[in-house]
Amino acid sequence: MEFIDYYKVLGVSEKASDKEIKSAYRKLARKYHPDLNPDDPQAERKFKQVNEAHEVLSDPEKRKKYDQYGKDWQHAEEFEKARKSRQQAGGYGQYTYSSGPESDFSDFFESMFGGFSSGRSRGSRGFRGQDLNASLELDLREVYRTHKRTLTVGDKNIRITIPAGIEDGQTIRIKGYGGPGINGGPSGDLYITFHLTNTTGFRRKGTNLYKTVDLPLTTAILGGELTVDTFDGKAKLKVKPLTQNNTRVKLKGKGFPVYKKEGQFGDLYVTYQIAMPKALTAEQKKLFESLRATNL
Amino acid sequence: MTLQKYIRITDFCQGHALQESFLYQLHEVELIEILEVEQQPVIRHSQLDRLERLVRLHRDLDIGPQGLLAVDHLLDRMEALREEVLELRRRLNRWE
Repeated sequence: MEFIDYYKVLGVSEKASDKEIKSAYRKLARKYHPDLNPDDPQAERKFKQVNEAHEVLSDPEKRKKYDQYGKDWQHAEEFEKARKSRQQAGGYGQYTYSSGPESDFSDFFESMFGGFSSGRSRGSRGFRGQDLNASLELDLREVYRTHKRTLTVGDKNIRITIPAGIEDGQTIRIKGYGGPGINGGPSGDLYITFHLTNTTGFRRKGTNLYKTVDLPLTTAILGGELTVDTFDGKAKLKVKPLTQNNTRVKLKGKGFPVYKKEGQFGDLYVTYQIAMPKALTAEQKKLFESLRATNL
Repeated sequence: MTLQKYIRITDFCQGHALQESFLYQLHEVELIEILEVEQQPVIRHSQLDRLERLVRLHRDLDIGPQGLLAVDHLLDRMEALREEVLELRRRLNRWE
């Protein structure tokens, strides 16, 4: 019976984090899953190896034991005991998966970890609880800043942090807040999907904001200053003389916060809509007529 | 008894340690059909293999109902193509 390098099986380093292990496992499990590779015994065998590696490396206790005794398993007292008690004569010197209903794990695994009954195999396997889905409606203003909110899901109050810059339709996962696990299995996760309403007068596209503002005719022609509303305040803009209708100016960093990047913002694009007068005083009319006389 | 052609979803879920809501989610995306027979929610026996495959994919790969819908569709297509290849090989063998 050979030592199995579970890190190598998953293609991760010995210092890999839980997240890296999970990610590697997911990738390989997708690749070799027997249901996705029908009639491919090699894929099935690979899948079992990947599953076994994940079974050990994703469980802190098993990983610790594996790291401690793994390479020197032949000298580990507890390993020897387990091995003798099982009297596993067959399969020595090779990496085997025996056939039959208890064949999900290798001889190496079964000797080291008590085999079938300690793993996620049939029978005593603990099942992960059901994932739950919830949706939350928020106004765009509410997701401009990171804030905390208490939700009630299935009689449980959950305090969650809603990061600034969340997108409409985005789903976040709250680990362990789904349905309870069965047979000691972990709880499922809670998925919250955000639906954003927007009554702000700003159009949002990613992290950029867009707004159309009225520009007085005289300011458009002669230039001047214009105060516009930004998402969190006001900004004074210098308008160039002879500014054309639909001119767009960019206010850097005045857009929406970048999701999970504290202090980073998109830009605000302001489009000038030249406001035509709806009525003129006699004097204004006279002045416009004088302008017309200049062939303007 | 009519129920012999069917499997109660309560029994299926107990046997697989699953929550019934998962089966209803599969029903919602039309991956399985939950019927009511003798006032009990059931699935057809003929759907069992498919349902078990979906449960395995859900458990092992953490795929949700929408993802399962896509996977199931692709697997069906793959199966159809496999059968087509086999049939074409059979025909080709006759000419060789």
